[in-house]
Order: sequence, then structure tokens, then C-alpha cells
Amino acid sequence: MLRQPLSRALALSPSKVAPLAARKFADQVQAQPDKVEVFINDKPVYVPPGTTVLQAAAQVGVEIPRFCYHERLAVAGNCRMCLVEVEKSPKPVAACAMPVMKGMRVKTDSDLTKKAREGVMEFLLVNHPLDCPICDQGGECDLQDQSMAFGSDKSRFTDIHFSGKRAVEDKDVGPLIKTIMTRCIHCTRCIRFASEVAGIDDFGTTGRGTDMQVGTYVEKMFLSELSGNIIDLCPVGALTSKPYSFAARPWETRRIDSVDVLDPLGSNIVVTTRTNEVLRILPRTNEEINEEWLSDKSRFACDGLKRQRLVTPMLADSRGNLTPVEWEDAVVAAARALRDCPPGKLLAVAGDFADAESLVALKDLFNHLGSENVCTEQYFPLEGSGTDLRSSYLLNTKIANVEDADFVLLIGTNVRFEAPLLNARIRKAFVQKETDVALVGPKVDLTYDYTHVGDSASIVKDLATGTSSHEVMKRLENAKRPVVILGADQLKTPEGAALLAYTQELSLRLQDKLVDKEWKVLNVLQRTASQAAALDAGYRPGLGAQLQAGPKVVYLLGADSGLVTRDALPKDCVVIYQGHHGDAGAAIADIVLPGAAYTEKRATYVNAEGRAQQTLPAVTPPGKAREDWKIIRALSEVVGVRLPYDSLDELRERLAAVSPTLVAYGDVQDNNYFAQARALAQSLQKPVSGKLDVQLKQLEDYFMTDSISRASPTMAKCVQAVLKQKQSPY
Amino acid sequence: MAAKQALRVGTKTVRPVLSLNQAEARSRVLNLYKAWYRQIPYIVKDFDIPKSEEQCRAKLKEIFLKNKDVTDIRVIDLLVIKGQMELKETVNTWKQKGHVMTFFKPTEEPKPKDFLSKFFSGLD
Repeated sequence: MLRQPLSRALALSPSKVAPLAARKFADQVQAQPDKVEVFINDKPVYVPPGTTVLQAAAQVGVEIPRFCYHERLAVAGNCRMCLVEVEKSPKPVAACAMPVMKGMRVKTDSDLTKKAREGVMEFLLVNHPLDCPICDQGGECDLQDQSMAFGSDKSRFTDIHFSGKRAVEDKDVGPLIKTIMTRCIHCTRCIRFASEVAGIDDFGTTGRGTDMQVGTYVEKMFLSELSGNIIDLCPVGALTSKPYSFAARPWETRRIDSVDVLDPLGSNIVVTTRTNEVLRILPRTNEEINEEWLSDKSRFACDGLKRQRLVTPMLADSRGNLTPVEWEDAVVAAARALRDCPPGKLLAVAGDFADAESLVALKDLFNHLGSENVCTEQYFPLEGSGTDLRSSYLLNTKIANVEDADFVLLIGTNVRFEAPLLNARIRKAFVQKETDVALVGPKVDLTYDYTHVGDSASIVKDLATGTSSHEVMKRLENAKRPVVILGADQLKTPEGAALLAYTQELSLRLQDKLVDKEWKVLNVLQRTASQAAALDAGYRPGLGAQLQAGPKVVYLLGADSGLVTRDALPKDCVVIYQGHHGDAGAAIADIVLPGAAYTEKRATYVNAEGRAQQTLPAVTPPGKAREDWKIIRALSEVVGVRLPYDSLDELRERLAAVSPTLVAYGDVQDNNYFAQARALAQSLQKPVSGKLDVQLKQLEDYFMTDSISRASPTMAKCVQAVLKQKQSPY
Repeated sequence: MAAKQALRVGTKTVRPVLSLNQAEARSRVLNLYKAWYRQIPYIVKDFDIPKSEEQCRAKLKEIFLKNKDVTDIRVIDLLVIKGQMELKETVNTWKQKGHVMTFFKPTEEPKPKDFLSKFFSGLD
């Protein structure tokens, strides 16, 4: 094994942890240690002791070539590409692992350094196939780039015995990652990612010298929800994307910055397109949300955007079959249904992928028609302060700050699959800062050790009232920066209101005692990308009561989770479905209005923290599909209650009028009124007796949860592969 | 000096294009109209256009009446010259069928202006 003990690797690079923007804590006035002066190419630079030569060089703008070093992973120091000359040192030193010393004089472009790099490159290329023309990494390959920049013009590798180059058998690590292990240069980034970030310690090396191989020891799938990131990490073409294999070269594609909507965190992504087709999705660095990682569903479900799409407006004919029609016919039919219905019998339901613009437009339309029945599929208790106070339904601690927590209490959430990158943050805190985690809920694999308190709801009550005798109680009370995360799925049960009340009580009781007054304890983890924006816009969460009332016209805005069924509706009810996938919602609809998916429109999404972000159109909507807010705007004019906005900018002014946070892109506001929410929740603290359960327990549950991932063949293959792996003896 | 020049500019008479007075211009217009009118049966036949003689005469009248409010003699003369050029191109079959048909239908359709028609036409 090449891997060093984690603690040792971490001790080598204290500043490895990514700097987080604007983090200030009252009690955390750090004593500035004396800085060390080092000279990079005779340029003086002052850095804190413990900084590596490579980082010091980066500070003066000198980039030292590297393969194995990665700022978010432990230092391995085994590729030797970062060798630099240091004065008075007998040998060149590996810059990535060498801490600076006082007065050190580093030469990054001396003859010795250049010769060392040339030598390393030559050795790497002796053992690397020259198959760049058929390699998927071509054009974005570190080895290609660095051999052009630092390599020699010739090689001493001559295969005089025609024995061929070193070759390694390929591995099968699942349907997402293609391995061509002959190309591997043993940088061990994938191994370190798997063991440090993903927490699946399956990768490792076997053999030594020429026989060294990176692999999973036994043939095994990489059972992680973050597995796609090792494709980005691999500096060569050893690990490439299976769905994207042989699809395109990087110089042929257009890259559009966007935001992911498949989980509630709103990870920042880059959508790569060619010929009006989404080819792949890559993460975009945002330290406050996803760092530079991306979960597998967000990355690989993009092929679902090409399948099961609604491409034309449809109307149910006399036999109930949906038949394609023109927009005029569909809009007129929908408008007639809306106009002829008494306002009390109207119902609008917003689904997982509804953007803030269409949410606000739809609510405006319904309000103009005299109806207040606009709901979301996800439930949230309306007792107490309900959704009036933002602090009760958002992640108040914020994703990045979870790293600084010293105790995390998860209540009824499998955060690993509900928000994989939040789980990666908790794991990072667990590994690097010795944060402890406790879980109330069913026992699930979170990739790190935690204290399982139990799965009964009464535990939360005992913790809140301070009567619990569990050790977690003491740990929580002694914690300096505790975090409590409540899964929003728990709130749909009849005991949800009481559970939220107890969680608020517990969090606020802890928060009152904290030295750091800025620190927020209470978090509610929503399940969908649309929920925060819908609640901000004033949607009513949950639709049980509204369905009971027997609506005559139901307007589904991408509502596909199967809560609205034909059985639950009156016989003569007209269902209008607006959305992008032919899923549960479109199946029961009488009128289908095809909308645009998140890669096809400029739209606002609010993530679980309450941070508004916008997607940008990477491709055009397929067929006759249109942007969602425009459909609602056109419909409103035909109904006769014209909405007063013709362009996106005008609509965004309306959004700002509804809630200024909806257009404060990239920013997240601090939430307040915790005490008031707590006071209002006091009366709701009723005895609870139920058990907490989560929807997503295993990896196979994670991949297909919404209309896009259900349409994705890659996600279906993942489910199959995981189930198959579960049967294997390893 | 300056006053003298201003006076000269003020009294400057424009050079006529063809006609010296309104009556002459009028007769040129009527002559052109008659020439077109008499040519219509041949146009319908030669170009094999899907229009009847009545329709062509109506169109001819419409096109002439489009400029009924023009009073400037020079402008009238130029319009007549242009009309003669069109006629010559038609008579000599320098035009083709499609060119003749453009008298009947404008090739560009007006772009939708309001939100709803833009939405329905898919232009937005």
C-alpha cells in the first residue's frame, strides 16, 4: 500500500483544507504564527510554517507540475513530477510533500529541475500506451499537456525484443466508470478519494515495481454515490466516463455554467453540449456548496434528458388517449377548463423541478382566478409558525459551515443519499476535525462511524426536554458548535409537527448556550430542489386536504411523485400537466403542456440553504416544448387574466417583489426569528410514539428518485449493477 | 453678399425630371396605366400566373392608387419611370413568373409583436 496513515499526511499539509470565504467566529481569533521567508526563483515569499514548497510556489504564481498532488486529498508524493531543486540539498525534492524551511531557496526552472522532470516524464511514458487518438481523456489529459510542456523530445524506450509495453488488465468497477488500467500512472488519487472523501475503502494497490496495479483487489463495483469524481481526478485516461465514452472531444463542445436540480443542494455544474445535445455534466467549483465534487445522480442522469420527453402539446381524445395537437388548441383547452371551474375547485401542484419563475407565475395566475390552492408535493407542518419563518425550513448552518461543527445530530435523514455532498462535508469534518455524529432514525451506512441513538421519535422529545439519559445528550450540551439536521421526510407523518417542534426546541436550547452567537444549530433538510423556492413564494406544502376537497381542475407543474392519482380525484376532474417528462403526472393528464428541463431554460432555483442560483440554457427545449413561465404567461392571457410580465426580467422584478432572496443570486441570507418560531412551536410539543423511517436506505434506492433519473438508462444500469453486486460474496 | 446668396437660394427653381406641370404629369401616369392595362391579357397568358385578368386589373388599380396622394411632380415622374421599367421587364419577359407574382403577395410576413402570438409561432 502506498497510502500513508491519514493523520501523518494531514500533518504534512495543514493548509490543505480549502479556505472558505468569509468565515468569522467570535471565539476564533487565530494567533498568527510567525511566517517563514522562502525564496522561489529568488523571489521572496512569506508563508506560514508547514506550508509545502508547492503551495509556497503557487503563492507567487509559479505552478509546479504535478500528477499525484491534489489540494483536497492527502499528500502522497509518489509521482515525483513535482521535483524541484533546493539549494544546499543533495537531491531534488518533491515539492508537494516538502514543508518549507527558513531561508529555503527553491529553483523551479533550473537545469536540474528540468532534467528531473524530463526523466520522470520519460519513465511515465515508457509505461504508458501511446493511444491518445483513441483515448477519451485526449485534449483534457494532464499527461499529454505536461509531456508537451516538460517532457523530453525523445525517448530511450526501444522495444528491441518486441516484448511489448507493460500492460495491465482492465477492471470492472461498475456501469459509470470505464477503466483502462494500462494507462494508469499510479498517482493514487482515486485511492485517496475513495478512502478519504467517499469513505468506501475498496481501492488500493497490489504488487510492486512493474507489477504494481491499482484496483479493488477482488472484482467489485465501486459502491459509492460519489464515484464519478474519480473520473475527474484521474490525471490520465485510466478512469473515464462509461456513458460518455467515445462521444466527443473537449474542443468540439460548448460548456455552459449551470446549477444542478436533482438534489436539494443545488451543486454548481458545467453542462457540456454539442449539436443541441447534452453530452455530460461536470462539477463546477463552489466552495460554499459542492467544493469540486458532484454526486453520481447529478452527473450521470443527464441522458434521461433525452428520453421520455414531452415534445408536443397533447389533448386526450374521445377515447381518452393523448393525441398531439398544436399549442393553440392545448392552451385554449386548458384555459377553458381553468375559466369554467369555480375558484374553490382549482388546485395547482408543484413538483420536484419547478423553478421559482414558473412557481411565482402559476401562483399569480391562480390568485388572479381567485384561488389560493397552490401546493407542493412535499409536506411541511403548518401548525406553529409553519412556513412563515424561513428559519424553520432551511439549512441554517449552511453547507460549508458544517465542516466546523463538532457534533452533528441527524434526525430521520439518510443524508448520504438525500444530499450526498452534505454527507461528504460531514465526513470531511469527521475525518479531519474529529467531529462526532449521532443519528436518530433507522440504521444506515453513512460511510463514517456514528452513534446510533435509536429510531423512535420519542428520543427527539427526550433530547429536547433534556430528560434523556443517553450519552448523546451530554455530548450535545458540551458541544461548542453543534448541528442538528432534521430530514423533511419525517414531517409528513401526523407526528411531524411535534417532531419539528421538538427539534426546534432542542436546537434553540443548544444555541442559547453557545459562546458563538453567530452559530446556527437548527437545520431542516428538504428533499427537492423546488421546495425552498415554493415555500418562499407562499405555496402551501402538502396536498392531502386539497385532494380530499375534490378539485375539478388540477394543474400539475411537473408533479411526478405519484401523490396525485386518478383514484384520488373525482371522475370529471380535468388534469393539466405541465412538465418535461412523460412520467406519473403526464400519464394521468387530459391536457399536456410540454415544458423545458433545467438544462434548457434560464431559471432560478433556491437550494436547501435558501441560496438562489440560476441555471442557464445549454440546449433548446426539444420539439415544441417551451420555457415554463412562458406557458403560464400565455395561458393567463387566453384565460383572460393577463399576467403583467412579458419578459424574464419583468418576471424577475415580480420575483423580487415576492421575496428579494429569490433574485439575490449566489447569496444566502442569515435567517432569524428562531426564538419566535420556538415560542410558536411550544404548544405543539405533544407526545410522540412513532418510529422514524427514511425512504432511501441503500445505494440502489438512491439512483432513481425523480422523473429525470427514472428516464435515464444509465441510472437503471446502476440500480441493476448494485443489486448484482449485493449478491456477490465480496 | 450673404443676403444676395440667400435670395438666390430662396428663388432657385428645381429642374424638372420630365413634366413641367401637373397636367403633363397626370397624362404620363394615365398613359402608363393604359399601357399596363392593355398588357394584362398577355401577362396572364405568357407567365401562366394563377390569376385572372380581373384580379390583375384590380391589383394594377391598387398599386397605382397606393400613390394617389403624391403631389410632387418630380416624384410622380420618377414613379412613372420606375413603372415603365417594370413594364418593360415584364413585356420582354426579363421577369419570371415568381417576379410577377410578387405584385400579389409580399414575401415577408409581419413578425409577431405581442407575447401570445410570439408564443404560438414559437418565436421568442
